[in-house]
Amino acid sequence: MDKLEEQLKIDAERIDVEVSDELDRRILASLHSAAPVAQKSITVARRSRLFWWASSLTGLAAAFAIIAVFNTFSAIDELSEPLAGLSTVGDSLSNSIAPTLGPPIDWKAESAMLTQPLQQEMLDVQSDIKKAERRVREDIGL
Amino acid sequence: MLTDEAKLIVAAQAGSVAAFANLVGRYRVKLLRFLLTRCANFADAEDVLQETLTAAFRYLHSYDSRWRFSTWLYRIAIRNAQKMRSDLVVDLGDEVNDVIDETSNPLTDCIAASETENLWISARRVLNDDVFAALWLRYAEDMSISDVSKALERPDSWTKVNLYRARKALSVELKRESDGAIACG
Repeated sequence: MDKLEEQLKIDAERIDVEVSDELDRRILASLHSAAPVAQKSITVARRSRLFWWASSLTGLAAAFAIIAVFNTFSAIDELSEPLAGLSTVGDSLSNSIAPTLGPPIDWKAESAMLTQPLQQEMLDVQSDIKKAERRVREDIGL
Repeated sequence: MLTDEAKLIVAAQAGSVAAFANLVGRYRVKLLRFLLTRCANFADAEDVLQETLTAAFRYLHSYDSRWRFSTWLYRIAIRNAQKMRSDLVVDLGDEVNDVIDETSNPLTDCIAASETENLWISARRVLNDDVFAALWLRYAEDMSISDVSKALERPDSWTKVNLYRARKALSVELKRESDGAIACG
């Protein structure tokens, strides 16, 4: 303890204070009139084991539902690729995959008609394939 | 095994006024001395002491035995003293300065005249309320840094820094006073 601490302690003791009898009586009177606040009963709701099972099962069901929805959308994406060559998509797509995937899904998509340039392109490709096929037949002597 | 204080606390928690009076008997004078440093006058300090003990009795069930009982009591006392001061400000508005004379100090009435000035009077003059309280609790009440922090609802770092500053400020003040005394002598 250094000098300052020692001096502070001594000086604190030099502050001469006492509780008067009157104050004592006042304090006792207020203590008698002040009833302790009743301790609130701590009610930690103990949950039954059934609750934990129920919440676990609910969580698992939710997880399966999310996985199922995710897989459904993936299947639709895969199925939609071979259908790209069709002249219409949307309703026809829903109709074509509906039997395998359950109830039809409302895509809220309008049927898109292929425009003339695209159709022309497809005809050109088919023509090129035919020409190539003919050339191959000639080359092998058929 | 329960200490005497712990036994008294248990009995007081069960509603025994006698046990509570016995329990706080050893703290009453110390608390009143401390409250004198935070109140405008002796009567206010007495009122705050009464309110503090009554509140402690009423809410004794919320006392956490991990704390020292004295720390818990001082915390209530500090809150009540602050409340009384703020109530006074609300009630009196601008006139509060006429009632609370910052230069007056109820401590001086309780200190016998002596050649050297009491250090706590100097401390009251140079330190603000909370720093003064930290210094008091640490050196007059022998509380640990952790207990001082709990009583003042401050982090330990605040207490350490401000105790260091308070000691430094007091040392400067003491040196200034001793230099002045030498010059006058």
